[in-house]
Amino acid sequence: MKITGYRLEKYIQKLDRAIGDANYPAGDDLMGMAILWIDTDEGISGMAPAGNDAVESLFHVIEGKDPRGVVGLWKDMVDWVHKGNNEGEVNGAIAAIDVALWDLKAKLNDEPIWKTLGAREGRAKAYASDIGYNLSDDELHTFYSRMADVGVEGGKIKIGLNMKDDLRRIGIMRDAFSKVKGRPYLMIDTNEYWSPKQAIRYINEIEKHFELFWAEEPARRWDYDGLRQVARNISAAVASGENLNDIGQMYPLISQQAIDIANVGVGHSGITGARQVANMCYAYEIPVTMMNCPANFMAHLAAALPNHNMMEVVDPGRESAFDSWDNHIEDGWIVMGDKPGLGIEVSETKLKDLQATDHGRRPGFPFPRREGAALWIKDIEPGEVSWK
Amino acid sequence: MKITGYSTTLYEFPLNRRMGDANSPSGRIRGSSNLVQLFTDEGITGVAFGGGGAGPQIKSMVEGMLMGEDPRHVTGLWKRMVDRVFKGGHAGIVNDAISVLDVALWDLKAKANDEPLWKTLGGSNPKVKAYASGLDTPLSDDDIENWYGTMAADFGFTGGKLKVGLDQDDDLRRIERMKKGLERATDTPELYIDANEFWNPKQAIRKVREMEEQFDIAWVEEPARRWDFLGLRRISDAIKAPVCAGENLDTLGEFLPYFHNRSADVVQVSWGMTGITTAMQLADAAYGFELPITLGGSPGNLNAQLAPCMPNFLTLEVQNPDPDDGVMTSDIKIVDGWAVCGDQPGTGVSFDQEALEKATVESVSASAGPSPFGRRPGAGLWDNPATKEEADAAASGVDGFAYVPKHGSKTQ
Repeated sequence: MKITGYRLEKYIQKLDRAIGDANYPAGDDLMGMAILWIDTDEGISGMAPAGNDAVESLFHVIEGKDPRGVVGLWKDMVDWVHKGNNEGEVNGAIAAIDVALWDLKAKLNDEPIWKTLGAREGRAKAYASDIGYNLSDDELHTFYSRMADVGVEGGKIKIGLNMKDDLRRIGIMRDAFSKVKGRPYLMIDTNEYWSPKQAIRYINEIEKHFELFWAEEPARRWDYDGLRQVARNISAAVASGENLNDIGQMYPLISQQAIDIANVGVGHSGITGARQVANMCYAYEIPVTMMNCPANFMAHLAAALPNHNMMEVVDPGRESAFDSWDNHIEDGWIVMGDKPGLGIEVSETKLKDLQATDHGRRPGFPFPRREGAALWIKDIEPGEVSWK
Repeated sequence: MKITGYSTTLYEFPLNRRMGDANSPSGRIRGSSNLVQLFTDEGITGVAFGGGGAGPQIKSMVEGMLMGEDPRHVTGLWKRMVDRVFKGGHAGIVNDAISVLDVALWDLKAKANDEPLWKTLGGSNPKVKAYASGLDTPLSDDDIENWYGTMAADFGFTGGKLKVGLDQDDDLRRIERMKKGLERATDTPELYIDANEFWNPKQAIRKVREMEEQFDIAWVEEPARRWDFLGLRRISDAIKAPVCAGENLDTLGEFLPYFHNRSADVVQVSWGMTGITTAMQLADAAYGFELPITLGGSPGNLNAQLAPCMPNFLTLEVQNPDPDDGVMTSDIKIVDGWAVCGDQPGTGVSFDQEALEKATVESVSASAGPSPFGRRPGAGLWDNPATKEEADAAASGVDGFAYVPKHGSKTQ
């Protein structure tokens, strides 16, 4: 069996709602997306709900190879980009190819990826994540209540710009989940907006009011000294890592005990790379939490990891190009079915329609860094979000 | 697919050469193994070799944790077994049981896909670098040169590992003889040495530094005790060669002090560390720390199946290019110094039923086990070269099966 070709389709997805964080509280509801297919001489294709133009520069590395050798091909790609390194766009392309190859490998076995990876059960514990600094108090309540209704035991909220607003909003989140769990898991996320000392002051104040399970990205992604400093001065766990690209970049965070929980995701060079990071964390007794993604497809890997904690579920509506995806949330867990591969069915019709739609503007995501980050806190300005 | 039953079969066989190390210089000439089979409702059988001393633990694990389960869920089943023994930890014979069952499960998973294990694990290239390992303390100088010479000339090995530790002058001379043998394949052989935890750190530093005046040593294996992360680190800081260690550890968690203190420059991995599942976790962790992986000796060299999916794999230990027990068959071949995994589904390591029946024993004889003499007196304290009695036993070619050092001798 040989890899013969690929197809990359890019499109812009209008979300069900805007998403926003400390860097861009107003948020945006347009997101650039892509689907990658890897084709074989036996007519079976693997797909990934990801990809970018750098796939073209990498494809020759895997062309003609057996797709079942996905871990070896991952290494071949990483070795190929040695000088410029496995970063940025190239990293995104390697990740997308890797996911498509795992999809293909599982489809060849006629089983879901969670089974290919050896998981005993196709499920991963979920937590709710708003990515919703733009959401009003009512909208926040509705979102977390909807997640609580399917048994989710806690949530993460975007904060960082105004203590009074943040305390109120964390309270809304807690109240929504308290019907499921007496002490719900409460997480906060500031997306690298603070300096370490700002984080320590801010989080200590929040901890007078709430028990926090983790604080995410309280300092810059690479600042292992700063993250460690935060971790030593708050009661909550420090979680970080989602903006790093691979296990090599995670190395200082892990070996310097800078993080208490590792964010892992497809951005760590695909399923293969994310599994490496998780295993390295396992040696250090660091739990991992899977980052959100379209159709929650990384739950396949989460289900197979011995040290996976909870996976982020945002559900802003990134699945418009799909006819179906094989998971749902039940009793607080992402429960996957037995459909082969990722279990995602792409609709060619919907994809064409999405590509034909002109939104008249470019997607605002990913967000630029907000003014004042790690220097001073630039409060949300009147009118910047609907609720203020 | 469901697991429906299991069987274990102990067997013994004559070794094709006398084997020993610093702890047993007289060596042994018999070996033993244990065939574990996991049966399924689809007629596919998982095969693994090991856990000879863990019969009751295997029974309890299969009956309590594996019966009725789908073997393709091996990572989840591994977790189930490991969590089951939480309180005592997965160490010792419990770990032997989980390890061998994990291998049988991976064998089943690959067989269910009708593909070799290296492919199931995601490997793309079934060819892995290998070195020859003599377990050669009982061999004479001439036998050492001959054995490594044959490994070099007939199988293309360019690297060899000599057992050392009991007598510095002997060791210096014998490294030279191994080198001469390997020079039949290359001008620049990789010279590995292995002291099997016989030294204390300062002994190791003195001895290895002296060896390094004459030889470029490619690694020093187990130059101090397995848990002595401070001592291993000290040795590494004081010698040129990498310190290679870990083979007597059982779990990923036991490697944490090594990783955190950079105690080992080369990390030893094997299926015996709570199975193939942990071996792969370890390889990923070592990759994160930029540490190379070496895979230890294994039945039919099955560890070779793991190497293609390990991103920082260095080299595989080969004690015999082909199975030496007359029972086992292996689809892993040594070609030009590389181990090459074939296309046979599963681990590629299986057995001959007729030969198995002939070799089967009720229980393994005392000196046919993997390390029948235990740790040698003087280890970590003083030099304790082979006694005349031991040297004679080693040289005699008689059945080491009956050889036990006399009570009260220096070796007791």
